[in-house]
Amino acid sequence: MKEKTLLKGNIAIAKAALNCGCSCYFGYPITPQTEIGEYLSFEMQKNNLAYVCAESEIGAINMALGAASVGAKVMTSSSSCAVSLMQETLSYACSDELPIVLVNVMRAGPGQGYIFPSQGDYNQTTIGGGNGDYHIISLSPSSVQECVDMTYKAFYLAQKYKNPTILLVDGLLGQTAEPCILFDNPYKEIDNSSWALTGAKNRPSRKIHSLEPSQNKLNKHILNLKNKYDLIEKNETDYEKYMCDDAEIILTAFGSLARAVKAVVNSFREKGLKAGLFRPKTLYPFPYDALKKIASQAKAIIDIEMNLGQMLRDVKLGVLSDSKVYFIGKPTGNWLKKEEIIDSVENILKENYANI
Amino acid sequence: MQIFSTPKSIKKDSSFSFCPGCDHGIAVKLVAQIIDEMNLQDKTIAIASSGCSVTLYNFLDVDCIESPHGRACAVATGVKRAHKANGKEMFVFTYQGDGDFASIGLSESLHSALRGENITAICINNTNYGMTGGQLGPTTVLGQITTTSPMGRNIEYHGFPIKTAEHVALCEGSAFSARVALYDIKNIINAKKQIKKAFECQLKGYGFSFVEILSNCPTNWKLSPLDSHKKIENELSKIYPIKVFKDITND
Ligand SMILES: Cc1ncc(C[n+]2csc(CCOP(=O)(O)OP(=O)(O)O)c2C)c(N)n1
Repeated sequence: MKEKTLLKGNIAIAKAALNCGCSCYFGYPITPQTEIGEYLSFEMQKNNLAYVCAESEIGAINMALGAASVGAKVMTSSSSCAVSLMQETLSYACSDELPIVLVNVMRAGPGQGYIFPSQGDYNQTTIGGGNGDYHIISLSPSSVQECVDMTYKAFYLAQKYKNPTILLVDGLLGQTAEPCILFDNPYKEIDNSSWALTGAKNRPSRKIHSLEPSQNKLNKHILNLKNKYDLIEKNETDYEKYMCDDAEIILTAFGSLARAVKAVVNSFREKGLKAGLFRPKTLYPFPYDALKKIASQAKAIIDIEMNLGQMLRDVKLGVLSDSKVYFIGKPTGNWLKKEEIIDSVENILKENYANI
Repeated sequence: MQIFSTPKSIKKDSSFSFCPGCDHGIAVKLVAQIIDEMNLQDKTIAIASSGCSVTLYNFLDVDCIESPHGRACAVATGVKRAHKANGKEMFVFTYQGDGDFASIGLSESLHSALRGENITAICINNTNYGMTGGQLGPTTVLGQITTTSPMGRNIEYHGFPIKTAEHVALCEGSAFSARVALYDIKNIINAKKQIKKAFECQLKGYGFSFVEILSNCPTNWKLSPLDSHKKIENELSKIYPIKVFKDITND
């Protein structure tokens, strides 16, 4: 199990889910993530685990809600426009404090869009379309290896904080085969015996609900959730910084696009330009403080995304200044290439900084 | 008032949140009695759904989860299957309104029946959306005046109502489908018998079992409890026949 194997991102995620004890999967087909459900359909049936070809994404996410309520490790996967259908239940799961792992392998939108590569669901993931004060933990892998690592982590964080967790995967990564190591799940099991619905045997009955007709109690519940989110922000914020310590130009990117940006940083360094890469690995919680620290000494921060500037809002919030933040991106199509990014960065620098 | 006994599966010191004279209260009591009689209290997980019965978990003394509006059968599917994957057979039932089961949740409901999901669904048909104040719902009968059909339901403008129990019976995965009523003692006794049968179907692993309970809604119908029961007896039960539509245990 420890040697390197060549795996597509989608299959790596499915295998990692099984490795860490996912016993329930509910899903509905949509490209470019269908292989996850296809792979699991065989493996789970073979092992007498719970697998339902759901009638819709609404069905799938609500089956996941039910399975999570009994303490099972549950996953569903989908893509962009179909994740839109799950927003109501994600909000319920946050209020109910139920751990669901949702894998979103992105396609281009809005609407049906198409299966072209895009990172257009940053907002959907980090802000969400559900109602109320809630947050969903969001992890952003940049390689197939990280698809494995972060699937394990997604299950762990979902259970630890009793909160839905989204693995936000570039369509490109879901479909690309890369060598990776399918190591054992490194995280400890979380005990859920104090809340799971297992039948009221030798204990009082339990109820899981989001409806709360008492204003006081509802207030308290929402504030308790807020305390939990504060804790998640304090403990779980994760990022990669590459050559940032002395950087004058900080490039920000998430997901697999960050790998092209890393190559850009290397090229600039060879030319003597002090560039660095800052990559959030958790999109929620976003690493505002770390970015702020790095940005304070930088002359320019250039955010690069395969969308029209969705993470840009968080980058600006981190930098706390509009004046030195710039954006490079496009909504869909071929992934931005190293050379294209270099040209665009040089143009921004030429236009705004005579002396860099 | 003198209380002779309360089912063990009704929480002590709890009181129903239903309007006076509403059949929801009788239905919940029957369910609790059957849970007691069949010794299911510690094996049960109930799914409450949006509507007048959403706070079921406040008076039914079993493990319970509230589902989003209409999704009860999907949530029940997850609960049932997850336990099964863990090697445990739990008794899982939903308690839903007709708007919940047959309008917003029709897809989840019928697909659970089609899959032969081994769960039980109990659906209160009070011919309107009760909790939101009596609007036109999927079961509102032709001619019925509601807050959103002020001139009465008509075919050209609103279309037809749904006969839920008949539809469920048509699904090959369903084992049992019946419509019952609660307007007199005879019907209450029959209702209890059919709910019990539905529960037994699940315990025997026969597949989806369903009971539609034709109920009153005195508040939104603007009738006394007595008159609302007369309406069910004289009018509604002619449109929605009280009948067992499918029972594979009899085949
Ligand atoms: C998605 C969604 N839409 C609308 C509502 C508002 N709502 C709550 S209960 C209800 C109607 C319930 O009617 P029914 O299912 O027939 O049950 P009853 O209240 O009559 O018992 C509605 C429309 C909601 N909670 N969620």
